[in-house]
Amino acid sequence: MPLYETMLIARQDLSPAQVDELAAGYAKIITDGDGTVLKTDNWGLKTLGYRIQKNKKGHYVLFNFDTQSPALLEMERLMRLSEDVLRYISVKVDAFAVEEEEPETTDEKKEAA
Amino acid sequence: MSEERSTFFRRKKTCPFTGPNAPVIDWKDSKLLLRYISERGKIMPSRITYVSPKKQRELSKAIKRARFMALIPYVSDGGNR
Repeated sequence: MPLYETMLIARQDLSPAQVDELAAGYAKIITDGDGTVLKTDNWGLKTLGYRIQKNKKGHYVLFNFDTQSPALLEMERLMRLSEDVLRYISVKVDAFAVEEEEPETTDEKKEAA
Repeated sequence: MSEERSTFFRRKKTCPFTGPNAPVIDWKDSKLLLRYISERGKIMPSRITYVSPKKQRELSKAIKRARFMALIPYVSDGGNR
């Protein structure tokens, strides 16, 4: 089934617990629509590049899904309705990058030079 | 003496994204994208960064997605990048 990568920004004044709950709720929609949630990655509170609806910071949550599009569209519809989600983006990907946080490549280049 | 140079202004004309251990362009990787936007937050032209046309297209799409998700600013006041 097609792989999707969805990221959402939740309002600043949500508690981390509420953000997890929100994320679990959306993940459930996907599992209901017989998709599978490969990864749920909570990046926590980060400062935004610019203010969105008066919020300077936002909770970032990243999902990796393997699902058909109806389930994803349903989830997006609910995100649109929800006031907690400031912004979301779903991207169809061919494969998920599995590698971990590899170190900055620039250091090796400097030593090699 | 090791000539100190950032990966940005590479003298030789190779694209930083082609080649064996080139970094993958990913819109979530703001650290990588910040190297390819100017002080003001504009996308650097490929004539300066020596990025190949194909990778430049991928890079600009990734930067636009990152901007939409507020990972990088649309316009930065030339300081707090």
